[in-house]
Amino acid sequence: MQTGTFQPSKSVIRVSPFEGYTSYAPYTCTQCAEGWCMTACPVGAIRINAAGAKDVVDDTCVGCKLCTIACPYGTMFYDADTLKAYKCNLCEGAPACAEACPTQAITFEETAPADWLGDFAVERTAQVLAREVA
Amino acid sequence: MPTRHLIIGAGTAGLNAIRTIREEDGGASEITLVSAERPYSRMVLPYYLGKTIAESHVFTATPASLAAWNVKTHIGRRAAKLDPSQRALTLDDGAKLEYDDCLIATGSRAAKPPVPGADGPGVHCFWTLDEARAVIAGVTPGSRVVMVGAGFIAFTILNAILSRGAKLTIVEVAPRILPRMVDAACAEIVQHWLERHGVTLRTGATLTKIEDKGGARKLHFKKGAPLTADVVIMATGIRTNLEWLRGSGIELADDGQGGILVDDHLRTNVKSVYAAGDVARTRNLVTGAAEVHAIEPTAQEHGRVVGANMAGRDLAYRGSLLMNIVEVCHLDVASFGQWDDPKADVYTAVRPAQSQYRKLLFHGGRLTGAMICGPANDIWTTNDVGMLKGLVYSGVDLSAWKAHLKKNPFDVKPAFMATRTTAALLPQTILGRPSRSPELPQTVVK
Repeated sequence: MQTGTFQPSKSVIRVSPFEGYTSYAPYTCTQCAEGWCMTACPVGAIRINAAGAKDVVDDTCVGCKLCTIACPYGTMFYDADTLKAYKCNLCEGAPACAEACPTQAITFEETAPADWLGDFAVERTAQVLAREVA
Repeated sequence: MPTRHLIIGAGTAGLNAIRTIREEDGGASEITLVSAERPYSRMVLPYYLGKTIAESHVFTATPASLAAWNVKTHIGRRAAKLDPSQRALTLDDGAKLEYDDCLIATGSRAAKPPVPGADGPGVHCFWTLDEARAVIAGVTPGSRVVMVGAGFIAFTILNAILSRGAKLTIVEVAPRILPRMVDAACAEIVQHWLERHGVTLRTGATLTKIEDKGGARKLHFKKGAPLTADVVIMATGIRTNLEWLRGSGIELADDGQGGILVDDHLRTNVKSVYAAGDVARTRNLVTGAAEVHAIEPTAQEHGRVVGANMAGRDLAYRGSLLMNIVEVCHLDVASFGQWDDPKADVYTAVRPAQSQYRKLLFHGGRLTGAMICGPANDIWTTNDVGMLKGLVYSGVDLSAWKAHLKKNPFDVKPAFMATRTTAALLPQTILGRPSRSPELPQTVVK
């Protein structure tokens, strides 16, 4: 959606496989308070939009990739076709991923940024780690 | 009387300090800016060279935006003498500015090696906007460009030089490329990649002389054949701009080349004088040692912390994480923290056919350094770049994952998520509050 193309490899919401690809979890930008991408940008190309999300202003972004090392969550991406950075901007307040998800695995609610996946990841990786140690 | 803040230097540190003062005080104080050049971002000059942006795009502040921030300016002037006891700065034209507190953010300049001919025609650095303009005028389709130095600065302009249709040769005195950014194994992958993309590389080459011969440059080396070039670009390191502070009473390390000694509030030995960016020696986030990190993100964080403190906050700086990323011919190369630590537990993995390399360095359960290299079109590369930064920055305990990461250094995502790294990072902010959008603060009063 964000890149205006249908190309899952460019999606700003990434589904991470767990337990040998038997369970999955969606992972995207938490819209963190620091906004590491936004403060790192040398030309002020990342701004807070009306939905409260950090958003890349395409005309201003030069594609230097500094935001991709500044973001400590791995949720800043770079489009090799447009030479611009891109990220989840909450679709200006109506996230298409939540609308499209048939199982309500993705929902959109106004809430403080949180670690949605931590507990799930701990549970789903416990067996893998136990097997490796054994 | 409103507080008088004096900012010396309009680079990343200086401008971030100004923005933060205005975010905090809404325009209540006096700000004066002294800068030898108009404010612009050196980070984006390579994109101007590569013709993907116009020159107007490089400027980070304009006379109009500085006026909107209620900043008085002395652009085109250099600081000449600081008198901390009188709280006064003398400029190179003799003008004297008084302040209540001041920020030294005079940054660095490019340094050329003392080689005969290095100051001759057709030999440029690529650091300032003027130098960028000279390189742009000289590098045309088919021109022979020799870049001296294969470090980070050279690599940031490599794509742009190739995109202008020039033939590029890079010479490096060290036995390998990128000696201060990646290890030997990674350097080898990057070197092969560049050679496949038509770049000629020569390592272990000591430049002895540049001759101006019939409008071209002839470069002589200690060993091996000379090279002929239309344009020579010297990317041979930087020096801090601190000579003007000698004798001021501000404490410098290593006569200035080691930076200015500051406390965790970025204050010098004189409490009304702050230092930030390439000239400030602050805490290495991983090791705790006091170091200069001459990188953009550190200058930005320094500038914001100083700006908040100048505006009356009581804010300690947590420390700086050394990090670099560069993309050359669609190959991403990045390193974080202490990537060259002989005392660490080091796990590496290479996929030679894909030009992919990973390196993880541990002290106990803590990731203290990381390196990543891979084609930029690989969808997971940038994802992992960010997560590696998060793991090194947060210092989360990875003890339970160490065996797994030793077997597969590529598999950082489940380790990042299951150690609740996101939860550890979310409360962390540089200013102890949410960051603001970079538009002008709307509340500035005049």
